[in-house]
Amino acid sequence: MTNPVTLPDPVTLPDPMTLWHPVATMLDLPHRHIFHGQLLGREVAIWRADDEFINVWENRCLHRGVRLSIGTNDGTELTCRYHGWRYSNRSAGCTYIPAHPADAPARTICNRTFAAVEQYGLVWSGEDPIGEPPTVASLDDGTPFTLRNLPVNAPSQIVLDQLRQHRFQPVASLDTDDAEMTATEINDYALSLTSTGTNTAESSTVVFFVQPVDSDRSVIRAVLTEAPAEVAQLAVLRHHAAALGKLVIAAEAAAAQMPLPEPMQATINQVSLALSVMPEPMLDRQAPLRVQVARKWTTARDIAGFELVSVGDPLPTFQPGAHIDVHLPNGLVRQYSLTNGPGDTSRYRIGVKLEANSTGGSQCLHDTVREGDVLAISEPRNNFPLRRDSLRTVLIAGGIGVTPMLAMAQALKPMGLAFELHYFAQADEHLAFEEIRAGLGDAVITHVGLSPDETGAELARLLDGYGHANQVYICGPGPMLEAARTIATAADWPDQAVHFEYFKNTTEIDDSSSFEIALARSAVNLQVPAGKSILEVLRDHGIAMPSSCEQGACGTCVVPVMEGEIEHQDVHLKQSERDAGDKIMTCVSRAVSDRLVLDI
Amino acid sequence: MIKLYDYELSANCYKQRLMMSLLDVPYESVPVDFFPGLQHKTDEFKKINPLGHIPVIDDDGYVLWDAHAILVYLAAKYDPTGQWYPTSDPALLGETASWLLFAEGTTNTASAARLYVNLSYDFDIDACRAGAHRLFRVLDEHLWFRERDGRDWVCSAAHPTIADIAIFPDVVLSEEGGVSRLDYPSLRRWTDRVKALPGFSIMPGVFPMGTS
Repeated sequence: MTNPVTLPDPVTLPDPMTLWHPVATMLDLPHRHIFHGQLLGREVAIWRADDEFINVWENRCLHRGVRLSIGTNDGTELTCRYHGWRYSNRSAGCTYIPAHPADAPARTICNRTFAAVEQYGLVWSGEDPIGEPPTVASLDDGTPFTLRNLPVNAPSQIVLDQLRQHRFQPVASLDTDDAEMTATEINDYALSLTSTGTNTAESSTVVFFVQPVDSDRSVIRAVLTEAPAEVAQLAVLRHHAAALGKLVIAAEAAAAQMPLPEPMQATINQVSLALSVMPEPMLDRQAPLRVQVARKWTTARDIAGFELVSVGDPLPTFQPGAHIDVHLPNGLVRQYSLTNGPGDTSRYRIGVKLEANSTGGSQCLHDTVREGDVLAISEPRNNFPLRRDSLRTVLIAGGIGVTPMLAMAQALKPMGLAFELHYFAQADEHLAFEEIRAGLGDAVITHVGLSPDETGAELARLLDGYGHANQVYICGPGPMLEAARTIATAADWPDQAVHFEYFKNTTEIDDSSSFEIALARSAVNLQVPAGKSILEVLRDHGIAMPSSCEQGACGTCVVPVMEGEIEHQDVHLKQSERDAGDKIMTCVSRAVSDRLVLDI
Repeated sequence: MIKLYDYELSANCYKQRLMMSLLDVPYESVPVDFFPGLQHKTDEFKKINPLGHIPVIDDDGYVLWDAHAILVYLAAKYDPTGQWYPTSDPALLGETASWLLFAEGTTNTASAARLYVNLSYDFDIDACRAGAHRLFRVLDEHLWFRERDGRDWVCSAAHPTIADIAIFPDVVLSEEGGVSRLDYPSLRRWTDRVKALPGFSIMPGVFPMGTS
């Protein structure tokens, strides 16, 4: 019997680093488990998320190097046991650092991931694998049945030598010991053995893949090409376990005769380049990602949902509360919050409300952008971070302000943290993203058709009684937000516990003043004339500045202030932050004094 | 109330604390300065246990030592379901006794390696570790076939027995003694299942399951 095989690239075969190797069986990845594996000297943590995605990661936390395999898998994120750093399904980006509960971790904090493909009931991965995992015709044509894998304290080539002399019986005659064995080489790490009975013509074929765990250790992963009848399965499994058990003893005895090989040294990536150098200057709003509209649908009256999938590299990690800049075909740039639950970077989901007096942003997305269109977007940015250490989190959403709240609610729920999401809307047909709300159950409370006064009364009821470690997050139309903030203050909620995000800044911006800015670190003095923002002046002089909404709502262009009195015109800063007078939104705010000293 | 002569870092004392937590039996922990005080070797303590070791329980005047014997007593007396120590099922009872003896092996190898590393005991560390791997290999295969049979526990019943509790601490703390469980995926899955039992309790080095 022959086993025609397709190999990825014969020329590069000898280097095991470029090959695919099995690292686990599917049976090793039960619900919410973290498998501890090793390949070519490198330890890996392998875990299956609730969306069935298989993650193969470097088995060490970026923080203090603790093995992630002793952490917890909550179905969407993996949490390190030591200091609770949380890493997202798929991207392995860090989403939360408990020691800095009010901050969004830098997006560049990302664990190392390795490829993962499921084939023949095995999980395949590799250091730097080329092409696809090897295919074996007898397994493609058969009904692969995974046998018990066996760890061996012997180098893979000794194990393969032993396998060439390995004997087992065909399924039909397990009790005799007279089968004829035929071996077929597959590659440097795999071979196929066929056992044919002498009295019966029955034969069974097993494909053996040898996983090189380290220079002196291996795992034999064996797959029978035809699944036996269910009643016979246990006997077949025991037959092979016993036969391979003998082989393991022989291979270990052979290995003990040899000098101990040097252990393989997996190269642990140092801090990524992105974290070790200063970021590239960003002179303007950037949109490095290209996404395709995979789905566009009406999720509520005047609200379109968009599913955006990457047309290049996988989408970057985001945190609950994050938004993206969407660059529209008509040249406008708009910000939209991600509604995704944690760990779901397969696509970004946003909701776009058609504004009655749209200046072209929402109208363009509603009328012009269609499924299949490609858009440029920024990387997710989080100026509305969610604390995940609260005893009670109150999420208050008005209208389309529900989008960041949905992301927050989906992050809190799997952690078992108490939260409620109050969703205010004009009418039932304005309630969006029913499919997400359904998954959140009773925690979502809708308040429909209330007048402003009734809304105020309801908010007063919801915010009555601040307790220790309570947090409230508010996103909605300006007047509702103002009301909620006033009510929260009146009900003794401290400023630090009240978090809000405005859609837009409706303040009439007064840019008639002129003043000097001194850049303390750069030792540069610049003049800001009437009619120009600080942000524009900085950029005019080649100073890299991130920005997003450029109307004082999102908080991206914040700069620390060392001296001078600020004329705040934004809606991003809390009152306590305004009073502190140590930061400024450079896109709209200005100086009352003649001079501002900025810490840049 | 039951008095447990206890040392927080002892795997054998943890077996009793875990069992009583699973059975929801209240107890009072009497700390013994095992290290560095060697209180269990003092004449005073030898009046309680002449062998000079812990754990020891005192249940209203009834004194019993030896970790696995105490498990037998606790389950027989305080488990109304009769499942943890299945006296009414001779075949299962035999299995349970057999795996309790296996647990003597893991105690003398895996947990001994831990005492060598953590408390500087004078043991043949290579022999301890090799012995632990020999036993873990057998147990991993055993549990793998149990899983194929739709069973989650060391014995063949659909429920755990004191054998699981006798073996679990030696296994789950093995890395402290330098005995990796990387080669034993079935063993790792079984420790997850033990941690998911209602009433499970932890000790330093034994982590709870995540929320699920």
